[in-house]
Amino acid sequence: MTRLFTVLLTSLGSKVVVALTGLGLAGFVVFHMLGNLQVFEGSESLNTYAAFLRELPILLWSARVGLLLIAVLHVGLTIRLAIHNRRARPVPYAVREYRKASMASRTMALTGGLLLIFIIFHLLHFTAGVVDASFSDRLDPRGHRDVYGKVIHAFQNPWFVVLYLAAQGLLGLHLSHGLSSSLQTLGLEHPLLNRLFRAAGPLVAGIVVLGNAAIILAIALGVLRA
Amino acid sequence: MNFTLKVWRQRGAGERGRFVIYPARDVSPAMSFLEMLDVLNQQLVLKGQEPVAFESDCREGICGSCSLVINGIPHGPDRGVATCQLYMRRFTEGTTITIEPWRAKAFPIIRDLVVDRGALDRVMQAGGYISSNTGGAVDGNTILIGKDRAESAMDAASCISCGACVAACKNASAMLFVAAKVSHLALLPQGEPERATRAKALMKAMDREGFGSCGNQYECEAVCPKSISVHFIAAFNREFLRATVAEPGPLTEIPSDPHAEFR
Repeated sequence: MTRLFTVLLTSLGSKVVVALTGLGLAGFVVFHMLGNLQVFEGSESLNTYAAFLRELPILLWSARVGLLLIAVLHVGLTIRLAIHNRRARPVPYAVREYRKASMASRTMALTGGLLLIFIIFHLLHFTAGVVDASFSDRLDPRGHRDVYGKVIHAFQNPWFVVLYLAAQGLLGLHLSHGLSSSLQTLGLEHPLLNRLFRAAGPLVAGIVVLGNAAIILAIALGVLRA
Repeated sequence: MNFTLKVWRQRGAGERGRFVIYPARDVSPAMSFLEMLDVLNQQLVLKGQEPVAFESDCREGICGSCSLVINGIPHGPDRGVATCQLYMRRFTEGTTITIEPWRAKAFPIIRDLVVDRGALDRVMQAGGYISSNTGGAVDGNTILIGKDRAESAMDAASCISCGACVAACKNASAMLFVAAKVSHLALLPQGEPERATRAKALMKAMDREGFGSCGNQYECEAVCPKSISVHFIAAFNREFLRATVAEPGPLTEIPSDPHAEFR
């Protein structure tokens, strides 16, 4: 056990855990987006899907605890690495020119931190109903919780639209570097597949952002109504 | 050609450093960057001032001594060359050129632009070698390997340990250096028996010396005078994972600092 920890606490060991948890979170984000796209099929479809997810308390809570654990590992180890990295260069350069580092890669700490704040807000908004309690307890004609109504209500408010679209921008940046970077950290490299590995981040990030933004904009522009 | 030089001056490791501005007049475009600094130093000596300390040796891009961050880029604006192979014709007439040392906690400044890169040597001492019996040395090419493998090993072995990868990295990480050394030996039959212990030992040594971790920004590859590819970093990551899983080794721990007795 001690040996496992000494490996995990080397910088590369920590990075591997950050990469694996990051890929786990990215996978969740993709399925979250795909599930939410059911909003386009109407209230019945989305509410039945939401009820299906909640039907098995064991599954629901193990998923929640699992995600929480993954997120804690991801954030905790990243903070530890970031502190170590800051200490590695005590005197900064007066002039600095980047040749290859993308905007996304240079802002990982910032986008990650803001995303964490957004995720907490998002959970308080849709899951806990603390931010906006309306629709949280309403049931649809079939007796399911009216998730569809709540989503429509939220994105008819322009403030929520701006906030959630901004969060999509952050998510896109974070994912575009994080995903490809995770593959490199896990040693996935092959002359035939390198272009695919490098493109995976921006590609998945683009799909997730497009899918999520489509939901927000469709409601904001009145394409989807209650 | 005329330039304004903004040079980092610092008397020693613990001292406070600052930029000093020097004019560089009548510089020949055919001069190398280091020759331009030689001329500056001659002028400073004639004026009775302390010359700017900078490191150089072979001046043909193979020793890895020269180490200047020029206008924010280690080894300056040209790709795939060391500072000594950079010529003044590469700069625009009349501009200000900022010259800084490699900046990293693991590379303490000795004086002005000279830093102590002993950390890289200590990383190598942790396992960047092969163990071999003394006596009649066996020819290196007794064990045949494929051309592709030999080429890959040579690509990694072209590292001159200059430390530009550390200087360019946002996190002052030495991953490209470590990856090149580990890959070079792991690819060859002579290095194969110790590849697992080597990967783990070099990783721990890198952390111990105070280098940061890799952020996969690939700035190192872009400044490397030998253009060593970051694919070696992925290969090293694989090597480390393989070593951890497939060859966990005995439970006895490697001493935390094998060089403690020399300090």
